[in-house]
Amino acid sequence: MQLLLLAVAVMILLPLYWVLKTSLTGENLFNYPPSLVPRDMHVFYFVDVFYWIPFARFALNSVIVSVIVVVTNILFNSMAAMALTYEFNFKPLVIGLYLSSMMIPFQTAIIPAFLLTRELGLLNSHVGLALPLMSTIVNIFVFKSSFDAIPRSIIDSARIDGVSEWRLLDTIYLRLSSPAIATNVILAFVWSWNNFIWPLIIVRDEAMQTLPLALSRFLSYFEDTSGQLYAFVVLVAIPVIAIFLLNQKRFISGILAGAMKG
Amino acid sequence: MNDRRRLPLIILFLLPSVLVFVLYRWLPVIWNLFLSFQKWKPIGANEWVGASNYVTMFADPVFWESLQNTLVYFFVGTPVAIILALILALFVNEPIPGRNAYRTIIFLPYPITPVAIGLIWKWLLNDRVGFVNYVLRSVGLIDEGIPFLQSFDFALFSVIGTTIWQVLGYFMILVLAGLQTVPTELRDAALIDGAGPLRRTWSITLPLIRSTLFLCFIIGIINSFTVFDMVYVMTGGGPGHATEFLVTYIYRNAFEFNRLGYSAAMTVVMFLVLLTVTLVSNRFSGGEAGGARHYE
Repeated sequence: MQLLLLAVAVMILLPLYWVLKTSLTGENLFNYPPSLVPRDMHVFYFVDVFYWIPFARFALNSVIVSVIVVVTNILFNSMAAMALTYEFNFKPLVIGLYLSSMMIPFQTAIIPAFLLTRELGLLNSHVGLALPLMSTIVNIFVFKSSFDAIPRSIIDSARIDGVSEWRLLDTIYLRLSSPAIATNVILAFVWSWNNFIWPLIIVRDEAMQTLPLALSRFLSYFEDTSGQLYAFVVLVAIPVIAIFLLNQKRFISGILAGAMKG
Repeated sequence: MNDRRRLPLIILFLLPSVLVFVLYRWLPVIWNLFLSFQKWKPIGANEWVGASNYVTMFADPVFWESLQNTLVYFFVGTPVAIILALILALFVNEPIPGRNAYRTIIFLPYPITPVAIGLIWKWLLNDRVGFVNYVLRSVGLIDEGIPFLQSFDFALFSVIGTTIWQVLGYFMILVLAGLQTVPTELRDAALIDGAGPLRRTWSITLPLIRSTLFLCFIIGIINSFTVFDMVYVMTGGGPGHATEFLVTYIYRNAFEFNRLGYSAAMTVVMFLVLLTVTLVSNRFSGGEAGGARHYE
């Protein structure tokens, strides 16, 4: 049992370690047989990534899109979740729309999504890149279960004090839901950061590339076995790995809530 | 409480998210249906062409090959991933030393950018400098490096294997969550009755986490029908069309050959197959799997 777990752990860690090592040494690209322990580490390949492509520009694109996605997710999802705390006639219809949207993978929507975004004049734009991810079902329900847990008495007494509904969302619902906000931030960021097919479709201008897109095209600059490529891989992967490792519990409970929903 | 007077506010609150899902999920379903009966023109109105896109599709061997590859992924890849995840989850559910570390490590690939993972494995599987071939040669299994991703025999399973490598931890965490709902008293009672570990797992644990397993299955269906990023960077669908999947072929026709009508027709068929498979397996599970979650 332990042996199998150990074997699986090695199979998962070794490739990641190998990439990291190669990005720092370039070693096993030229040496055969490869050595396990890194020798003569240097950051030459990382510097080279900045030298060969406008890495900072692509990173900025990724950051801008991710910030838009994260902010709109918090805003739109919490608004939707708050609306669902009210009673109204077409509530089942709205919930049905949300849940059924989960069964329509974005990959089946790419062609009309492209045509629509073109009509809106948002090809090659940060807003266009962020649009399909601006609200996410999982995160709406993360907010909803957090809002449902807030005692009605608090809400009612605030209303009696004359607090408006907008202020209610801000001062009570969101203030008491910091774990739900954190989950929204983490999941929205990771989904946006990793997104590939959508930038691939709507980015025609080289300067608007996000990191995964630039990474996939980096091969055209170099041979496929260059240390620069793996330095690039490390640079793209580090933010999401860091976010996951720093917020493991929240990340996992968030995606579990998403999977169980429905 | 009467919320009717708040109706304008409710609508305002719902509007942004509803717009996102209507415009980028529901509208495309209908739009695809219309587009599938048209020949798309970059400028000017599209031309109605009847069912000719569908006729072309059914006569297109590459369409059938990509459908077949998608189904191979679904029928082979998904069960393998779930069974592996189940075994791992059962193991890390036991009070063994380092089980939290194992959980973290096995889950670690899941959040990583798929494009990055595709590039890593493309290199590990390389015939000259790839680590996998190095290991195989070192233990004397092969004399010459195998060009896994250029080989008609290995490419499909190499790509599927890579996606399993990434998603394994996710399934494991799902199963693990299901295992927490199994009452320990039941297992303890079986233990006292002298049931061995295999028997306890088979007759008590598995039936109780049935709904979780079906949930994994449904997610596996969606994953196998939507696989794209890794294939795109690892093989681009090749060699030939050995790793062509539905989405890669749809993407290529729409955005490389400008055949948007044809791609829309394939999307409609893909969506219908996906829906049928999901509904059928949901029926088999007695509706227990409930809904499923997509990547976004």
